[in-house]
Amino acid sequence: MLFPTITFAVFFLLVFVGSWLLMPRPRLWKPFILIASCVFYGWWEWRFVLLLVVSAVANQLFAAAIQGARTRSARKWLLAGAVAANLGVLGWFKYYGFFVTSVVNFLGAFGLNADLPLLRIVLPIGISFLTFRVLSYVIDVYRGSLRTASMLDFGVYVSFFPYTLAGPIARASEFLPQLRAPRDPRRVDTSRAFFLIFAGLAKKMLLADYLATHIVNGVFTTPGQYTSLETLVGIIGYAVQIYCDFSAYADIAIGISLLLGFELPDNFEAPYTAVSVQDFWRRWHMTLSRWLRDYLYIPLGGSRKGQVRTYVNLMLTMVLGGLWHGAGWTFIFWGFLFGGALVIEHRRLDVRRARAARRRRTAAGAGGRAMSEYGPSGAVAGDRGAFELDRSARALAAMGGGPAFRAPAAGVTPPGATAVIAAPGPATTAPPQPLQYDRRPWGGGWLPRIGVFAFVTFAWVFFRSPTFGAALSVLAQLFRGWGGVGAAVTPAVLLVIIVGIGVQYVPRTFYQRLQAGFSVLNPVVQGLVLAIGFMLLDVLGPTGPASFLYFKF
Amino acid sequence: MSDPSDKLPFGRRRRTAASALVVVLIAFGVGVLLNAPAMKKTALELPYGGARSVRLALVSPAAAVSHWLFLDRPARYASSLLGRPDPGPEPVQVVVVPTPTPEPSAVTKGDKGDKGQNDGGQTPVAERPLPRPYAGHPMHLYIAGDSMAGIPGMALVNMAKDTKLIKPLLDYRISTGLVRPDFFNWPLQLQEQMKSFDPGAVVVMWGANDNQGLETSSGKVHQFGSDGWKKEYRKRIEDVIAILFAGGVRRIYWVGQPVMPDATYDRQIRLMNDLFESAAARHDGVTYVDAYQLFSNANGGYTQYLEDDNGETQQVREADGEHLTYAGGQRLAKAVMAAIKADWLTQAKKDGSGDAGAGTPASPSAKASPARSATPAP
Repeated sequence: MLFPTITFAVFFLLVFVGSWLLMPRPRLWKPFILIASCVFYGWWEWRFVLLLVVSAVANQLFAAAIQGARTRSARKWLLAGAVAANLGVLGWFKYYGFFVTSVVNFLGAFGLNADLPLLRIVLPIGISFLTFRVLSYVIDVYRGSLRTASMLDFGVYVSFFPYTLAGPIARASEFLPQLRAPRDPRRVDTSRAFFLIFAGLAKKMLLADYLATHIVNGVFTTPGQYTSLETLVGIIGYAVQIYCDFSAYADIAIGISLLLGFELPDNFEAPYTAVSVQDFWRRWHMTLSRWLRDYLYIPLGGSRKGQVRTYVNLMLTMVLGGLWHGAGWTFIFWGFLFGGALVIEHRRLDVRRARAARRRRTAAGAGGRAMSEYGPSGAVAGDRGAFELDRSARALAAMGGGPAFRAPAAGVTPPGATAVIAAPGPATTAPPQPLQYDRRPWGGGWLPRIGVFAFVTFAWVFFRSPTFGAALSVLAQLFRGWGGVGAAVTPAVLLVIIVGIGVQYVPRTFYQRLQAGFSVLNPVVQGLVLAIGFMLLDVLGPTGPASFLYFKF
Repeated sequence: MSDPSDKLPFGRRRRTAASALVVVLIAFGVGVLLNAPAMKKTALELPYGGARSVRLALVSPAAAVSHWLFLDRPARYASSLLGRPDPGPEPVQVVVVPTPTPEPSAVTKGDKGDKGQNDGGQTPVAERPLPRPYAGHPMHLYIAGDSMAGIPGMALVNMAKDTKLIKPLLDYRISTGLVRPDFFNWPLQLQEQMKSFDPGAVVVMWGANDNQGLETSSGKVHQFGSDGWKKEYRKRIEDVIAILFAGGVRRIYWVGQPVMPDATYDRQIRLMNDLFESAAARHDGVTYVDAYQLFSNANGGYTQYLEDDNGETQQVREADGEHLTYAGGQRLAKAVMAAIKADWLTQAKKDGSGDAGAGTPASPSAKASPARSATPAP
């Protein structure tokens, strides 16, 4: 079931009414929302509802066993079993074909014939999101930061329809507490909900789909047909398209959840305003980067085992993050590009920090003060990078999870400022003074923003292309198609690109003021405004709904 | 996320669920009335059957009320103002299938020395020697079809561009076919493209969405697979061929549908492929490209993976099992291109007027080029 369809509108209307009517009776509400979610997911292929059921039951059993295990070793083995089972299912559905063809072709290059069965496996929509959701539950139970939920609660968490298909990746520790008590029907953040739903539909229908059909699809599939300028605009167009498409889904999912009384974590925060690649990953698909940080990067050792291991861990995390998106070498390379960029940025900061430490030692004299050269590990959480939140993140997790921990965005820091964030470190009589240096790898201002956008846009070429050859054809066309502007570069395409990027530079407060203004309107007026808005979307948008890009991930 | 009791920015008010319901109901109700013409159009475009009837029964009264209350006007005016098509159902467009009277132009269909054009039109167009494209005078290749034609069409465009002797135009429309001209009128589109693009050759690929009922000009609905359906569908194939030849097209490459994973759907596809192939066999100048065979495994069954020319195993079908992947598109495009080159470019290379890609053998291995034509080599 797609969000921008009349079918979903009718479905949601029924669920909305049923949900609030049954909300005071959790014993009725939970089965109701569970069934509704299964209908939503099974609308496309009912057999995959079984996947949800099996995943929920199996992971609940694992979590209960982990919680009940008496020895650390048993808990570890059970966790390993749960991770292996979940990744095994994901691998079967998503990576089997990629694995088999890679092995067959690799061995074939040496004249060896690997007679592996090539099966037709239908990929269930949103299985990657499902896997990460349930793993967050099992791992948090293992870490002791979360108690097991009831089977019914966990079932609702696994299947909750707003985020089933393409996130956000709400963690069990963020969602399950909201199930403990009925949502308050007197305090629904309706204004933000309607704003997000409408904004999401507009981004999807007016911006993403327009760019896809008017320039992006053509440039990426028949690059030889386009001039250099058209190719450049098409590549930039894809950067805008994927943002508008993916963030649209997240916006709608968050908005729908709000109308049902539930809060989901934000997934995007103006990613193309990022001043560094670290900053980009704090703003792009935030729930995924938080997941990777807390459940992959930190368990790998994070930044606690020296610089080289930090770089290796960063690279590994990003490459696996790339692979999470799709079964293909281009996705792996895409992750590799980001891993490399993060390593370079971390290296710059490490050098800068070492210099700052030297300066301080020199200033303090030969005797020196009793102060760590590098400060406590994780002391610069939040402004040391996308995956530099080891201790603070774990501390938050140990405190019971709670709402999403938001890393401070580097863009918030005034240009030229040096970060002086006091760190949560080991208890000392006098807190250590943090080192004074610029934590932004490339400084502030427009130049790093443009540079980061250019890098991210370049990386998207590999993300979008089915093969390396196709990606290189697109990039080569940037230099081969000189002469003329090209018919695909129209004022409308340029306007859509400018709007798609421009909306990210509009201060957040502007949107908040809009929401506040809308919230005080009479409900009848609100309904009429939305109805007229939907009509305009229908008039301006494409014919027929297009599926969201991230469904296949 | 915020605590439910906390204050929201700029005094944003939380409202009650009942208030939200009022908003949702008004937005939904008024939205339906404002968008009723578009919703009726969508309902009309559904396959003939129960679901369509139910949807129409629900939407038609809303459309009538909307019209009566003038609530359908804003969408119509807005569409008109923005240069968009009217949101409501389109009036039925009559397509006149012309009698073929080919008069191919020298620019797109041949060089100045094409003797076949100077015989007073006595020789049937398909039997005349094909004109030879040369530098600066490419053969115009029009590629039409549904979503199944998308990826192979794109690959074909790339290959055609590489020859430097073929100017391609890809025109694929998602969810279209020959059974529902009320959704998308291909005959009309073809007539327009004949005038504007003036192709020398056309590649068509339809059928994936045609496994549904159709309505004849007399208003009778035939369900898929019935004798009436087959008769009408055959007529529509003939109409397409007539329109293309009348527009001056010299060669038509009719691409069949590939093998499908679902047994029922596969049977339906085979039925349509038979109709395409038999139509091609009846007409000189129409080549049938057998995608079914090209995408079957050694046993003639469905497979998602096939070896490419380099012996590497590639996934040729998308995760949905039906659409072609990039590698699959390449595979089909190569087969079509081989047929096109055999017709149009082989001679060019012999004359030294062609370049890259020209001169590909007209009939390589059956697996690589499953094109079957009733036309003798010119």
